[in-house]
Amino acid sequence: MNQKKYWRGLEELQDSPERKKNAEDEFREPLPFDEPQSLLETPTPRRDFLKYLGFSITAATVAAGCEIQVRKAIPYLVKPEEITPGVPNYYASTYCQDGDYCPILIKTIDGRPIKVEGNNLSSLTAGGTSARVQASVLSLYDTARIRYPMINGEETTWATLDKMVLQGLGDLGTGSIVILTSSIISPSIQQAISDFIVKYPQARQVTYDAVSYSGLLMANKECYGKQAIPAYHFDQARCIVGLDCDFLGTWLSPVEFARQYAVNRKIRQDNPRMSQHFQFESNMSLTGANADYRYVHKPSQSSAIALALYNAVANLKGKPTLAGEPLTDSRLTAGIQKTAKALGAQEGHALVVSGSNNPHVQVIVNGLNEMLGSGGRTLDWSSPLNYRQGIDQDMEQVLDDMAADRVGALLVYQVNPAYDYYRSDAFRVNMGRVKLSISFNERQDETTVLCKYAAPDSHYLESWGDSSPRQGYFSLQQPGIAPLFKTRQFLESLLVWSGAAQTDPLPYIQDYWKKNIYPHYNNIYPQLGNADWQTWWDQSLQNGVVEPKVTPAAVAAHFSGNMAGAAAGLSPAAAQGSLEIVFYENVAMGSGKWANNPWLQEMPDPITKCTWDNYVCISPALSDQIGATITRFNEVYHHRPVARLTIGGKDILLPVLVLPGLHPEVMAVALGYGRSNSTGMVAGDVGKNIFPFISYNAQNQAREYYSTGVKIVKTAETYPLGITQTHNSYEGRPIIRETTLHDFSLDPSALKREELAEESRYGKDYSADATLYPQIYESPGIRWGMSIDLNSCIGCSACTIACIAENNVSVVGKKEVVRAHEMQWLRIDRYFDGDPENPQVVFQPMLCQQCSNAPCENVCPVAATTHSDEGLNQMIYNRCIGTRYCENNCPYKVRRFNWRDWNGADSFADNLYLEDKANVMMNEDLTRMVLNPEVTVRSRGVMEKCTFCVQRLQDAKLVAKKAGRPLIDGEAVTACQQACPTQAIAFGNINDKASEVYRIRTQDQHFRSYYVLDLLHTLPSIDYLAKIRNKDPEDFFSEPPQHVL
Amino acid sequence: MSLKYESTVREPLINGDKTFHQVTEDIIRPIETRPGKLWYVGLTLSLCLLAFGIFSVSWQVYYGVGVWGENKTVGWAWDITNFVWWVGIGHAGTLISAILLLFRQGWRTGVNRAAEAMTIFAVLCAGQFPVWHVGRIWDVFFIFPYPNSRGPVWPNFVSPLMWDVFAVSTYLTVSLLFWYSGLLPDLASVRDRARTKIRKWAYGIASFGWTGTVKNWQRHEALSLVLAGLATPLVLSVHSVVSMDFATSVIPGWHTTIFPPYFVAGAIFSGFAMVQTLLILTRRILHLEDYITLGHIEAMNKIIMLTGSIVGIAYMTELFDAWYSGNFGEGGAFWWRIFGPYWWAYVMQITCNVVSPQVFWFKKLRRNVPFTFIMAIVVNIGMWMERFVIIVLSLYHDWLPSSWSYYTPRWPEIGFFLGTFGLFFTGYFLFAKYFPVIALAEIKALLKTSGESYKDKMEPIEEESTAQFIQQAAHAHEGG
Repeated sequence: MNQKKYWRGLEELQDSPERKKNAEDEFREPLPFDEPQSLLETPTPRRDFLKYLGFSITAATVAAGCEIQVRKAIPYLVKPEEITPGVPNYYASTYCQDGDYCPILIKTIDGRPIKVEGNNLSSLTAGGTSARVQASVLSLYDTARIRYPMINGEETTWATLDKMVLQGLGDLGTGSIVILTSSIISPSIQQAISDFIVKYPQARQVTYDAVSYSGLLMANKECYGKQAIPAYHFDQARCIVGLDCDFLGTWLSPVEFARQYAVNRKIRQDNPRMSQHFQFESNMSLTGANADYRYVHKPSQSSAIALALYNAVANLKGKPTLAGEPLTDSRLTAGIQKTAKALGAQEGHALVVSGSNNPHVQVIVNGLNEMLGSGGRTLDWSSPLNYRQGIDQDMEQVLDDMAADRVGALLVYQVNPAYDYYRSDAFRVNMGRVKLSISFNERQDETTVLCKYAAPDSHYLESWGDSSPRQGYFSLQQPGIAPLFKTRQFLESLLVWSGAAQTDPLPYIQDYWKKNIYPHYNNIYPQLGNADWQTWWDQSLQNGVVEPKVTPAAVAAHFSGNMAGAAAGLSPAAAQGSLEIVFYENVAMGSGKWANNPWLQEMPDPITKCTWDNYVCISPALSDQIGATITRFNEVYHHRPVARLTIGGKDILLPVLVLPGLHPEVMAVALGYGRSNSTGMVAGDVGKNIFPFISYNAQNQAREYYSTGVKIVKTAETYPLGITQTHNSYEGRPIIRETTLHDFSLDPSALKREELAEESRYGKDYSADATLYPQIYESPGIRWGMSIDLNSCIGCSACTIACIAENNVSVVGKKEVVRAHEMQWLRIDRYFDGDPENPQVVFQPMLCQQCSNAPCENVCPVAATTHSDEGLNQMIYNRCIGTRYCENNCPYKVRRFNWRDWNGADSFADNLYLEDKANVMMNEDLTRMVLNPEVTVRSRGVMEKCTFCVQRLQDAKLVAKKAGRPLIDGEAVTACQQACPTQAIAFGNINDKASEVYRIRTQDQHFRSYYVLDLLHTLPSIDYLAKIRNKDPEDFFSEPPQHVL
Repeated sequence: MSLKYESTVREPLINGDKTFHQVTEDIIRPIETRPGKLWYVGLTLSLCLLAFGIFSVSWQVYYGVGVWGENKTVGWAWDITNFVWWVGIGHAGTLISAILLLFRQGWRTGVNRAAEAMTIFAVLCAGQFPVWHVGRIWDVFFIFPYPNSRGPVWPNFVSPLMWDVFAVSTYLTVSLLFWYSGLLPDLASVRDRARTKIRKWAYGIASFGWTGTVKNWQRHEALSLVLAGLATPLVLSVHSVVSMDFATSVIPGWHTTIFPPYFVAGAIFSGFAMVQTLLILTRRILHLEDYITLGHIEAMNKIIMLTGSIVGIAYMTELFDAWYSGNFGEGGAFWWRIFGPYWWAYVMQITCNVVSPQVFWFKKLRRNVPFTFIMAIVVNIGMWMERFVIIVLSLYHDWLPSSWSYYTPRWPEIGFFLGTFGLFFTGYFLFAKYFPVIALAEIKALLKTSGESYKDKMEPIEEESTAQFIQQAAHAHEGG
């Protein structure tokens, strides 16, 4: 090959040896880098100085800066098909704990579940969730979970454990076996238990509910011949009466009921109608707080109230009344009359529910519903609810059997009687008499530590399973992650011990479904027709829920209640003047299963706004008597007096929380606190256990959740309570707008009187004129907006927890909550107004209002909080230096400052805030797996706040962009909106005329729509819809607007 | 006979029979001798406080602002209270040096040097708070407008905190220049009298080669006037800008247009109280009673009474506005300020600032040194409380009652405040030892008109009839 040769100059062409030598040695002259005695004497001192300087700085930087901890991120060698790093996968599953039920979607990123969403396909919950469901993902990563099977507290293998257990079961001979479980709504677990009983005929299953619904079940058995709970249709009810029944917060299935309840609580402006809700109760429950009329009574009066209500309705209907103790309280009798009248007017559309555990009261209530024609309408026996199945007498029997050595083996699944049974001390003692005790509980709770064997069940997010919340309704549970520890599903353990050939849960469940469910439901998917099994199963698994193709029509059951007998069996009311105490479940803790969940512990109670404790709630009147009055001077102090309570001869010290809306002779304490230290890192220190104060009424064969003849004495001690809201009144400020249905129907525009007057005077744009500066920027494209309906917001706080889970909001621990350093981006303000003995309550979710003229933005000296062209008020963590000026200048006080290093995101070593066990727990490597990788974990010293879940908005926009179309309304969903069981939050693009939020604001609800503190010209992006109460105007307390001192 | 005649009705500004040399001796002597025991005790104490302050701030920087008592509702408390308080204290110095110079108030020469020094140390102390109160001190440079590779990203010029940066740094610069240019001739005097080599060298450098020529003096006077002209608006602007941190916000109790004059009056009020505190100590310790006379103290007490009354009017105006505006936020903020859990702070503010200065209507009390000293401290407490009330008591009960909160200080923020006292007094003690605490050159200019011994010579003249006096004056000119 002939290569052409090019030359660059004559020298190269000639290629003299001299040139060759020069070309080889490019730097033939030494670099001017001599090192004389002193730097200043060099030929070029300035340049040399700079060289040295440059070198030393680089060297120092390299030397000092390279010690960065190496964190390993190992990519997949073989990538699973369905996993793309950073892209979430969703798996339909079911949350099911102790009979609490919620169909969900598990959001997993890179193979780990980080969030739980409601499943929209369920007709029962319609995508709603509760705070506990939202928080359940954290319990997956709970450090206190048992990580391996144990014998007497020592680690063992499953094989050894199985051997020992089988041997133990074999050795029992004819000794009886008790399988003590919570209400099991899983058909396949139920089947496995039956299989087990077939293998061990001496075994029996006993259902024990920590908080009993025995009275309701027994009454239904008596009245309808079915020991079951009918389905309730709050959405069909125009008049709802709750008797000590917290159906929106804790009773049976609050997510489902809240959804139904909201149907008739949402109001249309053009045709205003809503249900009317009466509540009679002893403590203030979430449900009572939402009622139109709420009457307070002493717990021992609840029998008399049910009877009086029955008689009042009977009188109206011309039916025979029942003899019994009359109600003496005039306020209550007036309330009964009013309620009866409202009920009577809505025959067929009325519903009375009672949370009482007294079967006689429940019989009366059933009779009442019967009289009102609720059966087949609001009370539906077509598909009874399976949520609670425990009968108190059964558990009593177990305890007696244990004491009489009649229990050879005790298998404990999802129950914890050593903690939550009223005779837990007796249970603990008798546990010693049981030869073979096995606990399937996931942690070393009070019962498990007493058991010989621990066969820990996997977390529900690690398990296969199914449930049937209601007859004919099913849902599937699939794991979001392989078991983190050496745990085994209860189902599998049962199958192994029954000697089943197939012990894997999935095939067993499939088998069960193929036989029992598929044949009846094989045509429910219209697109699949009569699907074959595998297609049907895949579709069902994808959907998560399997429901009848046609919703079964409501059915009434034949009523055969003995009303006179029930009336005769009612408990007598305690004497006037005697103090009574009621024990209730609160929304976050329930019966205490979730005590080791810091998210729930730090969730302010919807009513008391207190975190991290239980306490005795007393009325302002009682607080005056014992000298614990709350005044405007001391309400701000978190240290509250401690009182000594004497209940049934036993003493307990509890901090006092003064709560308006309690009967002056009633106190209330929440169950579910005071767990043992072995339960978990944070559970042990929180509150006091009140379960031992519950009593058993032998005559009714049911536990009673109140006590009479209680004494309370204030001690000299004080105790800090983590209360997040200390002032209860909104002082008539334009924060809340509310009116009555009556007034609203007459003139919806009255709500907007002020604005309309301004408009007529200054024109429609008067608010735009309120600035010196011209509006330079148009806002084309997207402008995000949110609309929150105060009528359908019930204050359940699911949104608060959803926000925490979605946005990696830090838990600060009680000590810091006491110092008002809590970090929650979304809080629910709870205001009382009116009579302190029986106030009206209003809940207002408060989050960053994304003001279009944001006071925080212009005061930041470094422009760390700015406005996006989509109307978001953005927070740039990297830029923030933490002057806290924005926090001060925020009229809504929604900005949260990272006072300490809560989560190790700070650049300083060893300054992580670990003063509370909650902080320790939240910073464990395991717990941190719950962090959402799509959201920055904020370091200490920066401000943070709600961003409208900007990461979700970006995602939604990208999806639309990839599809080459504009964003569709409803595609971008914030975490709070998604979690809400009542769909009180609407969110979307207000520039999109078709969007829901635009329609709400400008057409559907424009008279109700208002902005909080809009007199400040902050131009918020969130509007609230005024609260409408279905009350007579004369009963409505309207806070006079506060204009002057 | 002097060119200027000053009536004996005006009390002398320099007591005793002083010659120029005596004046020099009196004022420079403390620099040349070993300081007394008290000085050492004072300096040690100050350094201890300073060290504790540094410890407290380090603690806070390491563990985060959460070690302070501030919270979600009250985002500023002692930090910004102290900032405003210290900046306010500085104002008296500038007022004395600039405005009183322009108004040709002779009596200022006795106190201006110390007051100016006080200004500088106070502003230094003040500056610590906005710097160290931030969450991420290592990024605090973001606040300066400098070219950078981030876009560039500029600071937000709309933010009043940004204005503070400019206002306070300008203020510090001008005050420092003013103070130091006034010091030049006096430092030269020290140099000229110096007997040790080091002192001669050090003061030689410090006096910038001042030789006392006519040209030197002429330029010195010109510079003083120019700086006085520059500093005068600063007296008004700095605290006006500081007040805008609050006035431009939307928080009731902050959002008010009367803040700029209100803050300036308050600043002068507290500044003079601080000058009183310092000078009463200084004249006693350094035996300068002849130069810082009862007349000075009385004059400053009059200003204290005047400015105290002005802030009193401001307080009443605030209350009136809160009622008259009909705004629930304003009304509520003031209601809770007076009747809320922090009521005692407001009571202290009113008692110390409005009620107590009224005692200075009595001449006897105005000229009573111990009483003045106590009053000065009372006023300073009152003015601290005023800032605390404005900041904390406006925030703690603002728009949304759901977030109402309380505030209790914790040791690191108290330590920080004590630390700035350490800084202030360390500075002041060193100043009192190494610099002439009275403007030597300037006071000498007054000696022959306002000195006591010279005034005595005026007595025969005072007795002359007008005709005699005119004649004599005319003759004097002829003779001159």
